[in-house]
Amino acid sequence: MKNIRPAYFVKFLLTIISFVLITPEIYAADELNCVLCHKHRGLSRIDENGEFRLFYINQELFESGPHRRNKCKDCHTDIDRIPHKPAKKVDCAQQCHIVEPSGNKKFSHKNIAETLAKSVHGKLDENGEPKKYAEDYPDCKSCHDQPLYRPFSFYKGKKEPGISKRSISRCKSCHTDGNFAEDFYEHVTTRLHKSRYSVETIEVCAKCHQDKAFRERHELDDVITSYKETFHGKMVILGSERTPDCIDCHVVAGENAHLIEGQDTPTSAVHKNNVSTTCRSSGCHEKAAAQLASFQTHVTYDREKYPMQFYMLIFFKALMAVILYFFLTLIFFELLRRLFPKFSFFKEKKAENYEQVISEIKEEADSKSRATGKNGGHHE
Amino acid sequence: MVKLFKAVIFKGYVVLLMIFTVWYGYFMYPLVFGFEGKEQAAVSLKEMGEGVSDKERMFANMILETSKKSRIDLDYRVIDQPYIEGRFHHIGFEMEQDNASNCVLCHGNVPHDKSKEVRSFLNMHAFYTACETCHIRPEDKNEKIEFRWYDKDTGERTENPVALVEIEKAYAHIEGASYPTYGNYGAKIAPGVIEGGGFRFLHSNEDKAFVERYLAEEKVLSQKQKSQMKKLMHSGINKKPIECDQCHQEKNPYIPFAELGYPPRRVDELINTSVVGMIDKYKEFYIPNFLTPGDQPPED
Repeated sequence: MKNIRPAYFVKFLLTIISFVLITPEIYAADELNCVLCHKHRGLSRIDENGEFRLFYINQELFESGPHRRNKCKDCHTDIDRIPHKPAKKVDCAQQCHIVEPSGNKKFSHKNIAETLAKSVHGKLDENGEPKKYAEDYPDCKSCHDQPLYRPFSFYKGKKEPGISKRSISRCKSCHTDGNFAEDFYEHVTTRLHKSRYSVETIEVCAKCHQDKAFRERHELDDVITSYKETFHGKMVILGSERTPDCIDCHVVAGENAHLIEGQDTPTSAVHKNNVSTTCRSSGCHEKAAAQLASFQTHVTYDREKYPMQFYMLIFFKALMAVILYFFLTLIFFELLRRLFPKFSFFKEKKAENYEQVISEIKEEADSKSRATGKNGGHHE
Repeated sequence: MVKLFKAVIFKGYVVLLMIFTVWYGYFMYPLVFGFEGKEQAAVSLKEMGEGVSDKERMFANMILETSKKSRIDLDYRVIDQPYIEGRFHHIGFEMEQDNASNCVLCHGNVPHDKSKEVRSFLNMHAFYTACETCHIRPEDKNEKIEFRWYDKDTGERTENPVALVEIEKAYAHIEGASYPTYGNYGAKIAPGVIEGGGFRFLHSNEDKAFVERYLAEEKVLSQKQKSQMKKLMHSGINKKPIECDQCHQEKNPYIPFAELGYPPRRVDELINTSVVGMIDKYKEFYIPNFLTPGDQPPED
């Protein structure tokens, strides 16, 4: 404050007031008028590491997710001036001004961070020491970009994407103040199904688990490729929402989605003793026998690690290739014969015309009969 | 005649079946042998192994990142946007490319880096303002510079962008225009002169052809030739560019915003209130702590 000259301060105050007055209500969360600069699409630079940094904020999309109730400063706590120095990394576990209604406490993602720390993705081992290649382990932003609501309506038994005006009008008949009804409606309906498509979840996991160098560092199988080869993977790629993605199988049903545990952990959803329970969980193969889970779900064709699977793959690929291409070649030549029925590389010597053939036959017959006559007379 | 017609139909049918057979073999190849080949080619740069430096790995990542896209399906709308590593907030649009500028051929579309304080703002301007708007001044000071928009894709002169009108609609709270577009106008402001009754941009297609030729033949040019040609290509560029307050001022702004289609209230922001205030107080402008009671702004 000491650096502000009174005239500047008054001007600034007027600027802020003018923006509060003239900007639409969508900027309500932007008390500091950060969008004065950040609404410009080209606000960007290349940082010291050579990374492209885009500082543009898409207000419409920002308003389309649960964070719309937050002020910029709730997350970017170190920004206390305009213009500001490069912002520090956001700590998602800090408290924001929103009051969490069930506990009437300030909201925080701290419990999520704690769950993540306990999971296989935590950066520290059981002794509290950093794991090997700790920098590889994910933080919030590794998997999450700004969450967006994915509301739907279920009016008269028909599920439709988006907000139903008919449905929300019933909420708003009582909850008239502000955007409470919209917030509640969008939040709840988004949570009634997955907030993102399974194929997007697979892509998130693939960012690390499909990286060969990453897998080699952590001695992991190529589970993304193997998943995509399964029936589950193919259905997800085709857009199915009823087919399990990574989270569905790797998190114990009813547990926090951030608690993914390694397959050697006894409480893990994919531990050998629990896999059948996971497969038979509600909404999946509920009535299946335990043997359903007796096969290797992620078949990885690594010659050194899984030689049997590798050579079986080679065998079946070769078998399929031989059968398929043999019959395709056969069909092709059959069609070729239909196209050129008289074609031959080895042509027989042919007579030039019909008369010539007849005369040749006659000559042959005459010579035979003469020979026969001579021989017959001799015998007589 | 009928016999011949039937024979032609039959032969054509057979030929089509043969083509289908060959295509089917090609189609089935990746299904039989897997897609690993293509994926491996895509990640091979990224997986340069343990022996390479961070710089090399980063360079490879940058090359790969050019093709990365992000798609979010919310059922009621689909958001296609470029993927930027580590970015949390959504972009929601494809970054417009300036295919007409000759400067971006070498300098890219994020060219400003020297001044830490203003580089992001300058790059922001580069999104809708041609480089020569600030970096080229007429040699003859009496020569009057005019400004027009040019289409980023074709380079041709274009009308004032409609998106500017949407900004005004947003101010007026007209439905459907609550989120106006700032900067993504599909066009850039560029300077020019009136010649023979018509307008001519200072930049020309010949300049661009010159740069393109240089880039095409750069490998075979001698070092001396490179220096000579660079000097030639940068001739006419002023050491001291147009400064912020030459445009963002009320009395005689260098760029006539209103003539270029900016709505009145936006013009007022640009030359009067918010933007000018920001520029004036750039280094000493603090958010007063009445907005955050109890907090004290930190010392520099």
